[in-house]
Amino acid sequence: MSNNDAMDRSSLSWKKSARHGAGEWLAERFTSVALIPLTLWAAYAGFTIAGTGYEGALAFVSRPLNMAAIAATVLITAWHMYMGLKVIIDDYIGKSGTRGFLIFLTFGLSAAVVVATAGALWLVYQGA
Amino acid sequence: MSEQTLKTLPPKIPTRPLSPHLQIWRWHVTMLGSILHRVTGSASVAGVILVAVWLVCLAMGRETYTVFVQYASTPLGLLVWFGLSLAGFIHLTGGLRHLIWDTGASFGPKTADSLTTWTLLLGVALTVAFWAVLFATGKVTL
Repeated sequence: MSNNDAMDRSSLSWKKSARHGAGEWLAERFTSVALIPLTLWAAYAGFTIAGTGYEGALAFVSRPLNMAAIAATVLITAWHMYMGLKVIIDDYIGKSGTRGFLIFLTFGLSAAVVVATAGALWLVYQGA
Repeated sequence: MSEQTLKTLPPKIPTRPLSPHLQIWRWHVTMLGSILHRVTGSASVAGVILVAVWLVCLAMGRETYTVFVQYASTPLGLLVWFGLSLAGFIHLTGGLRHLIWDTGASFGPKTADSLTTWTLLLGVALTVAFWAVLFATGKVTL
């Protein structure tokens, strides 16, 4: 951003980010708030499934409402986790090449978790 | 640009120390909470991966699932689940703390300290309660 751009900005627009940042801030808060009920539900799910073996776990996951909750929890968690790891990498990795590569790996990991979950849920759905 | 101005330009900056400076700061509870929030968040990544592996094993059928549960229910496996649940609950209550701070509340040095202490304790309490109920109902046994 050049100085001329800076002069063009009104006092109100200073409250917003020049390029981006506000979107990330909102996304972090949105995923955080959504994950409060979702992780509490996940704890309840873990409690329900514990000790019930293959049949119990399959019966729990096969229920459409539980399936939707698992999908939502994993999707929002993967998004939240990508943003969180990216911030840590941005803070600690000074070399831009290494930083970019690690952020790319983080994105790949988050996407892999979503794809694996979606595939598993689809297989369970087909079998049910 | 003249030769003179070029000489006054700052030299190419070598590697600077990156945040945060653990060796320099005096430890205090909000700093501990901040560090723990990152540590527990990172540890929860392992939890997410493990849950995805669990779900894939379930989808692959009885044999694969039985192998997963055999490992998951050993004392070492339970210790891993316990650690992951502790990380998850501390990150959850730490997230609550940050959302409270996001509203602009509890920013005074004293209230920020006590909010951090209480959310950390709540995270530990939730974990202990969770496992107490798991063992009390006989769902998990050593």
